Amino acid sequence: MDDLYREIILDRYENPQNRGVIKDGKEAKEVNLMCGDKLKITVKIEKGVVKDAKFEGGGCAISMAGVDLLLDKIKGMKLSEVKKMSGSEIEKMMGVELTAARKRCAYLGLEVLKKLG
Amino acid sequence: MKIKGEFEVLKKNRNLSYLDSGASCLKPKSVVNKLLEYYREYPVNIHRGVYEMSSRASEEYEKSREMVADFIGAKEKEEIVFTSGTTEGLNMVARGMEKRFKKGDEVLVTELEHHSNLVPWQQLAKRKGGKIKYIKIDKNFKLNISDLDKLVSKKTKILALTQVSNVLGTVNEVAKITRIVKKINPEILVVIDGAQAVGHMEVDVQKLGVDFYAFSGHKMYGPVGVGVLYGKKKLLEEMEPMTFGGGMISEVGRESSTWARVPEKFEAGSRAIAEVVAMQEAIKFLKKHGFRQEKERELIKRLSVKLSEIEEVRVFSALEAGILSFTVSGVHSHDVAEVLSRKGVAVRSGHHCAQVLHKIMGVESSVRVSLGVYNEEKDLDIVVDGVKEVLKIFKK
Repeated sequence: MDDLYREIILDRYENPQNRGVIKDGKEAKEVNLMCGDKLKITVKIEKGVVKDAKFEGGGCAISMAGVDLLLDKIKGMKLSEVKKMSGSEIEKMMGVELTAARKRCAYLGLEVLKKLG
Repeated sequence: MKIKGEFEVLKKNRNLSYLDSGASCLKPKSVVNKLLEYYREYPVNIHRGVYEMSSRASEEYEKSREMVADFIGAKEKEEIVFTSGTTEGLNMVARGMEKRFKKGDEVLVTELEHHSNLVPWQQLAKRKGGKIKYIKIDKNFKLNISDLDKLVSKKTKILALTQVSNVLGTVNEVAKITRIVKKINPEILVVIDGAQAVGHMEVDVQKLGVDFYAFSGHKMYGPVGVGVLYGKKKLLEEMEPMTFGGGMISEVGRESSTWARVPEKFEAGSRAIAEVVAMQEAIKFLKKHGFRQEKERELIKRLSVKLSEIEEVRVFSALEAGILSFTVSGVHSHDVAEVLSRKGVAVRSGHHCAQVLHKIMGVESSVRVSLGVYNEEKDLDIVVDGVKEVLKIFKK
């Protein structure tokens, strides 16, 4: 259990680095069907590259830490590459293996990013 | 605990504290064996087969209908329609009785409703240009029925009401409420969601005086994929079928067709025969062990006291049935459920298909404990320990 709620996850949950909204940024939203939690991500894109990214919304430690770490990772990446990312990369970043139910929480951020136009 | 021996899954998982019976009860051996009996001994289609095996399957299928009718006090077995579950039954009524609903008419629901007894009515109101009105709940999570006379009028065509709340364990006074609304408007149809009631308390549709009553097999220790819609025979005769095809017709012409009698007109296509047949064993199981509502209520009260001693915990329950929901301040319900899961405790986290209710509770989601015949104090003590562990992990 302490594996799942590792320091990095709890720390990101309590002290997220990428919370907020980017004014005039591109925006996408999604709802976690398991609990109804809403997640909104805004990104600033220049020449197809993600310059900045922020999220807003509530959720469990797994989804919140997952999206916070994900937004760190995508800064500097091409949006087209971001859209090709797989959920397992998020698990790698979090350093945990998740059950099917919790994968839905952890992957929510990536699902939102894939909806960006 | 002797009763646990009737559940193979509990023998294989000795450390499991299963507290999610509100979502689905565990299934006793007798139910599983009856399902297998169908597949091993008479695995063929019902009704129109003349050969012996088909007639045995038909007899078993119809025997289930008789047993269900007897179990809930229906006057005739034709008042029992087999469905896929509560949701389908409620949708069938919302569709099938819509001709009674005119523009400007109203459906009365309650703030307690599961989405399955809310969304079909919202859709009906949208299709017909009608309105949804709500019976509110009070601070004790009970329905505020004192303003029924203000809510019900000649325009109210349907009252859709749950007998037991799947989040708060509130047990509604269905018989009393039905009497009150029918006195104001005798034309009103009373439709009950009995999903959380049938496996835990005695249900007699005559005593309740309701028009329709829907429930699910798997929430009463029966199989998944089968449910029951009870309707007064006259109303079922008036009700339009929602699904068309084989088995539900009387005569089919090139341009149009006529429908079979009740209940066949609602049972189109090949049915979940094994599941319907195994309902016999679910009923026998409940009759053998009796209803445990009182015991479950006592367990829930005890849990409520213990959880309330923890400062960070908020308890949401009317303490009238074996259902209680709670939140832990600053920790998401998924995370609470995850920690509990590592201790062998199975609970549900989320909005439990009751988003309107959660808005009123003022939380996005909650953790729900719902009891069955196999639960004892020990299961609930682990919940309390688990919550304390949650607080440690999240350093509260």
